[in-house]
Amino acid sequence: MVAILEKRSFRDFDWLVAILAVAIVSFGVWQIYNAQPSESYWSKQIIGLAIALVAMLLVSFTDYRRVIDAAPIFYALGLVLLVLVLTPLGVKINGQQAWLKIPLIGQFQPSEFVKIPVALMLAKYFGSRKAGTLKPKEILIGIGILAAPLALIMLEPDAGQSLTYFPILAVILFLSAVKVRYVVLTIVAGLIFMPLVYWVGVETGNIKSYQQERIKVILDPENADPRGFGYHTVQSMITVGKGGLTGIKGDTETSQSVLKFLPEPHTDFIFAVTAENTGFVGCISLLLAYALLLSRLIAGARQAPDRPGMLVIMAIAGELACQIFMNIGMALGFLPVIGVPLPLMSAGLSAVLATFIAIGFVISVKMRRFVN
Amino acid sequence: MKLYDQAQNLVARVGIIQVFAFVLLAILGARLYYLQIVKGEYYNEKAENQRIRLIPIPAPRGAIFDRNGKILVFSRPTYNVTLSNEPIKKIDVNDRVDDYAQGLQVDRQFVLERINFIKSQPEFETLVIKENATIQDITWVESHELEYPELRIEIQPQRFYPLGKVLAHVLGYVGEIPPKQLEKPEVREKGFRPGDIIGKGGLEQYYDEYLRGKPGYRKVLVDSRGRVQDELEVVEPQAGQDLVTTLDLDLQQTAEKQLASSATKRGTIISMDPNNGEILVMASAPSFDPNAFVTRSSKPEGRKEISVYYTNEERPLLNRAIQGRYHPGSTWKIPESVSALQQGAITVARSSIVCGGGLQVGNRFTRDTSGNHGTPDLPSAITHSCDGYYYRLALKLGLPGLIKMVETFEYDKQTGVDLPNEKISQTPKSFESYIRKRDKGKWNDIETVFASIGQVTVNVTPISMLRAVSSIGVEGRMYVPHLLKEFKPIGAIGEEDDPNYIPARAGFGYNYAEPKIIEMTPAQNKLVMKGLWGVVNAGGTAGRIKNPNFEIAGKTGTAQNSEIGSGGAKDHAWFVSFAPAYKPEIAVIALIENSGFGSSNAAPAVKGVYDTYLSKHHPDLLGGQQVAMK
Repeated sequence: MVAILEKRSFRDFDWLVAILAVAIVSFGVWQIYNAQPSESYWSKQIIGLAIALVAMLLVSFTDYRRVIDAAPIFYALGLVLLVLVLTPLGVKINGQQAWLKIPLIGQFQPSEFVKIPVALMLAKYFGSRKAGTLKPKEILIGIGILAAPLALIMLEPDAGQSLTYFPILAVILFLSAVKVRYVVLTIVAGLIFMPLVYWVGVETGNIKSYQQERIKVILDPENADPRGFGYHTVQSMITVGKGGLTGIKGDTETSQSVLKFLPEPHTDFIFAVTAENTGFVGCISLLLAYALLLSRLIAGARQAPDRPGMLVIMAIAGELACQIFMNIGMALGFLPVIGVPLPLMSAGLSAVLATFIAIGFVISVKMRRFVN
Repeated sequence: MKLYDQAQNLVARVGIIQVFAFVLLAILGARLYYLQIVKGEYYNEKAENQRIRLIPIPAPRGAIFDRNGKILVFSRPTYNVTLSNEPIKKIDVNDRVDDYAQGLQVDRQFVLERINFIKSQPEFETLVIKENATIQDITWVESHELEYPELRIEIQPQRFYPLGKVLAHVLGYVGEIPPKQLEKPEVREKGFRPGDIIGKGGLEQYYDEYLRGKPGYRKVLVDSRGRVQDELEVVEPQAGQDLVTTLDLDLQQTAEKQLASSATKRGTIISMDPNNGEILVMASAPSFDPNAFVTRSSKPEGRKEISVYYTNEERPLLNRAIQGRYHPGSTWKIPESVSALQQGAITVARSSIVCGGGLQVGNRFTRDTSGNHGTPDLPSAITHSCDGYYYRLALKLGLPGLIKMVETFEYDKQTGVDLPNEKISQTPKSFESYIRKRDKGKWNDIETVFASIGQVTVNVTPISMLRAVSSIGVEGRMYVPHLLKEFKPIGAIGEEDDPNYIPARAGFGYNYAEPKIIEMTPAQNKLVMKGLWGVVNAGGTAGRIKNPNFEIAGKTGTAQNSEIGSGGAKDHAWFVSFAPAYKPEIAVIALIENSGFGSSNAAPAVKGVYDTYLSKHHPDLLGGQQVAMK
């Protein structure tokens, strides 16, 4: 019996998704090496990949339904971790208390992982509801589920990371029969309120001057102070642009990151490094790989045996797509600089591990598509 | 799963999300195309501009030699600490000033000025913050490499004046181009950059263009903090051209010694070859040490030393030979005699005029300072320096005659010596308007009488006096005095088709102009010569320096002056001469400020120069005492 099950699991395992994910991380390792050949980030990333791969396999062979059932426990655990970050157990790096150092386990970033329990929790709630149009009360509960971890993350403060949580709720609400008129209303309201919020933020001093600078440089990079807060954006654009069609292929003589012109090359600006080293050809290949990965995930969602499974996959796919867009948009100089890693590419064990766990979950859902 | 059952248009909604994701990726792809394909070249250039730096390698200046190849100035390599502006653009000056000043042992004020100046430069520039770095300095800079990436150690040429105060005025000194000058677009166009070394004063300034070489550069790779990562290319500088002067260091040193042992230690001695205008000696005392400006100006002691040069009442920075203006006293009588002959106020046949021991002008009697000489002829009036003779002669010439004389001997112009900032003599011509304004439009006879003996309205530069008087010895040919003998050629740098090729620079000599001719008949010339010869050789005012083997022709001058100097109001002593009298090889003038009689103060100083000249060129002709001593 066990043998049959394993054989069937083996056959139904989504090899393409796993291989794509591993391939992107491997490509990322090469870029992390290109970013700073003299540092050891790339080798750490390989270890991270190995750990993440094991975690992905474990998650994918677990029955996702039991995990969704236990979602409140994971969700509560996630909140506890986010609270712990704010205690003296938390570690402050670059003014953000976003890391947790726990003996034996090591240092990790809970806000990367908590996305999963949030998605599970929302999927559990919205997956079990009766058919029909979404009621305002249900929307409010959804917002509440999102708001608790978000508030804790904003206390770190990590504005970039918290932005990546919104797509999760947005996707789940959209797929839970929210009325189209609400969707349109939200988009219109967003378009109106965003400039208004910015203006109010500037007037009240809640948006700090460096944040304003980061926005101004997007609007007019040529005239921004290239040595001030516009520096990151200007240097990232130079780095991307100079890659040209085929890139410099790891030439350290002219590398923007080796010469330290490009800041944070192995994390936030890994895409700029990729663009410099592999050029337009490499970047488009990477974007196609992402497109393929997202397509496979969404295809899996279409085949999901139940509603919560479908919602989890779509939430993860939506979150990944938005995060990719935010990170690369920042590297290409049309979105403001916010610290969001590029999924599967940026160096960092937490991010890779969290993404692989999420993908493992997707595989788990897909594997059980015939088990009804 | 039956998606249809559970929500409205679920398939469509999933599809919308998928399309939305693809649209996001497509936006990224389009933006990538714009940045990498459309603007790739532009960003590539931007990246190159920020990582490639050209660090100039200053070219050593040409050395300066005397006529016999003895070295007067050269450049030697020293270790300098340089400061780049790039890493400190955003840094508060106060973060660095005290660290630099203490670490490098330099004046705090100097460091502050340097940092503020370099920070104001728009482009990547470097400045020297300490010259002649010691081992301690180098260690300090290297051990603070991470904290202060803007500091570097560079080997650069430094000007060195081995003779110190000797010839200081003639050589001048070098220093950084003043920031004010750099603001002029024409200066920038010539390729000058902050911190460039240029000549200041003397030959260093006058011939700067040739002495200065063409800088090379090091093309280096820098990181975002401006730290050099790698050297990509080195283009060697082309040194400046070596300058051979007409100076004779041995004679110069004799002259400097004569000034140093003179009564007031203030004055000037110039020697020139009257046959072509080559200057053999140009000494001015008191003097200064050019090394103070070059090597010590960044240290507090050095800055004090320099400021004392500027405030000292004895004016050590003044080149008295070309910038000092003095009443010429009786030396003025020589050009006056020639001009009187030219204008027919006297003739060769009838040159006698009454002396009268002086002259009554209006209600005032102006004395002849050396007594009553009867009715001397011109040679005798020169030999015995008869004032009464010239009072009357000048009244015959009148103001127009005096002006004619000034123009003939070019006292209204610069001599054209190849040194910067030469002063023009002041004469009755230049004073006329002032006097007429003061005296209700009149030029009174008394002014003519005073001017006849080189007083009041006559103030001449020693160089102009030497040039005028020495021309009598060479039939009236007045050459432009000059210091340039030749510039040596210098080879090309690199291959001709090389983009960094610097072509060779050809050598060249002094560009002689036709001499100004003082029109005289041989008889007129002979008459004046007789007087000049007599001054030394026929019991004249300078009889004590007579050497029968080497006859000197000359004229003493004792100029009254009311200027307040540290030596009181004593007279200035002059002696202007050339020798041998009837076939001159060398002319010498001495002016000793406030020392008294020309015969007892200036003439012996000139004699010293002649003796050195003889010992070098005609040792057999050395005068009586020296022969006797053998």
